[in-house]
Amino acid sequence: MSQDIVKKISSCLGPNIPIESVAQGAEAVVFSTTVHPYHPNAGTDKKYIVKYRPPKRYRHPSIDQALTKRRTLGESRLLSKLYLIEGLNVPKLIACDPYNGCIWLEFLGQELPNGNGFSNLKNFLWMYASKGYNPHDNVVKETLHAVGQQIGLLHWNDYCHGDLTSSNIVLGKVKDGWKAYLIDFGLSSTSNLVEDKGVDLYVLERAIMSTHSSYADDYNAWLLEGFSQVYQSQGSKGETKLKEVLNRFNEVRLRGRKRSMIG
Amino acid sequence: MVNLNTVRPKNGRDYYIALGLEGSANKLGVGVLKHPLLPQHEDGDLSFNCHAEILANVRDTYITPPGEGFLPRDTARHHKNWCIRLIKQALKEASIVNPSLDIDVICFTKGPGMGAPLHSVAIAARTCSLLWEVPLIGVNHCVGHIEMGREITKAVNPVVLYVSGGNTQVIAYSEKRYRIFGETLDIAIGNCLDRFARTLRIPNAPSPGYNIEQLAKRCANKETLLELPYTVKGMDLSMSGILAYIDSLAKDLFRGNKKNKTLFDPKTGEQKVTVEDLCYSLQENLFAMLVEITERAMAHVNSNQVLIVGGVGCNVRLQEMMQMMCEDRANGQVHATDERFCIDNGVMIAQAGLLQYRMGDVVKDLKETVVTQKFRTDEVYVAWRE
Repeated sequence: MSQDIVKKISSCLGPNIPIESVAQGAEAVVFSTTVHPYHPNAGTDKKYIVKYRPPKRYRHPSIDQALTKRRTLGESRLLSKLYLIEGLNVPKLIACDPYNGCIWLEFLGQELPNGNGFSNLKNFLWMYASKGYNPHDNVVKETLHAVGQQIGLLHWNDYCHGDLTSSNIVLGKVKDGWKAYLIDFGLSSTSNLVEDKGVDLYVLERAIMSTHSSYADDYNAWLLEGFSQVYQSQGSKGETKLKEVLNRFNEVRLRGRKRSMIG
Repeated sequence: MVNLNTVRPKNGRDYYIALGLEGSANKLGVGVLKHPLLPQHEDGDLSFNCHAEILANVRDTYITPPGEGFLPRDTARHHKNWCIRLIKQALKEASIVNPSLDIDVICFTKGPGMGAPLHSVAIAARTCSLLWEVPLIGVNHCVGHIEMGREITKAVNPVVLYVSGGNTQVIAYSEKRYRIFGETLDIAIGNCLDRFARTLRIPNAPSPGYNIEQLAKRCANKETLLELPYTVKGMDLSMSGILAYIDSLAKDLFRGNKKNKTLFDPKTGEQKVTVEDLCYSLQENLFAMLVEITERAMAHVNSNQVLIVGGVGCNVRLQEMMQMMCEDRANGQVHATDERFCIDNGVMIAQAGLLQYRMGDVVKDLKETVVTQKFRTDEVYVAWRE
């Protein structure tokens, strides 16, 4: 990552906040820090995430400012709404600076045992697919059920994630298993359209197939089981809605991206 | 491993010669291309480096008066009128005396494009094939652009931004196909620029997009930008709304509609925005969207190379913006070509067709030479890459 970006974020955070880079996407850079933005006595044992949308030199400053503000604000609003939904696990929004494109979030996840990396779903599944582990372990099945339930809950409340991949799902260790959190709502929206939900599921299925191809069929089946449980628990109304979503999901899968171009 | 030398050149020569015919839109292009037969092509993923030599690259563009677009019927008539003359000229430039002995393969555009112009060129290709007894190859226009761009710039595995009058796609290669990661949901970028040029009634020569670029360069007030819709949807984009909005602004400007507060000062009635400002704002907005989806695709497939192809790819401002985006990414590189290869031409059809031919894919029956207006980039099986 370029030193430039680090300099830019340091200048808008102030001098007393040490940051450490975590990941870089197309649009945003993610850092971690131990300092709470407005609670100086919170102690330094807790970690926080700073998601920063750096200004893009290639676009005109006025486009850039408008976009950064709109997207940062949109994501923050959505996150704060999602946090209020009972049972849905998303990071807590701590602070938001839409003009500079910064969002402070609660830090989720930890290191996986035996040096298997950060505890997102991708590393978790890779760990269980590696030597010495059983990819069909009950823990894997239960975790994927939990992930499916989170997605089901999101869709049941008429939100769409927009970018579901195994690296956008973080796991946190609880007593006898793993708790699933959804992260990165940069492409998310509210939508009650069956189409959007079907596409969301299709994107996840493709992501699982491309990153965890050996056991993708089982994984996808377990995810879908968890997803269905949420809808089924809502009675007959849930059953009809579930049928609609799954039918559309199958349609989207058949259609793929074979849209024809005219013009 | 890919063996590009499966089909040997005609008459025991040590090189291949292909004739390419392109006419999917208002440009009629004829190109003659030579590939030497090299031992390193027997195994290895070297389709981006064929040591191609361009023997001829001639083009004639059907240009309509300002304010008018090209209609399929008239374009087809133009192609019919000029096709034979251009082929003769290209053969002369390439010093080919006896085509039936010298040419290995005739390549023509199978699609996508406008039906009537495609058809008139396909007829010329079939006639030449029967006359000279040379095999035929139908080529996907988009793949032609990609292969020519790779050969000229020697980009090994780039993310391709294909921007032209009929197409706007972000493409990356994966498992024997050029896969489309993002594209326009309605009209193409070139179409958007061309139609705006029609509203402005600026000349269509050499191309409407070029004239918009020149107007945008002359914009006096580059600090302020007109606010236009910014419609990126994931890796896709939409441009019809932007066109409708800026069209309405241009019409109000010409009509002198003082009620429009973005164009005229409400108190003094003074004009705030010029035609140059409109062109500048439109370009900045559209290109920012293009660069953004390209960057998303690069992050998605973990690539650091970009190749810009297609007619709009000549635009210097677009290349500049792409350059800036790549500089901010680790080891980013931009590859672009000039108007000889960016704008539709016959050589690119010859390049893609010759690669197909060298992998043994030829038309066996004239039935297979039917042209098609809809031909997706990912429908082509890319046998010549790993």
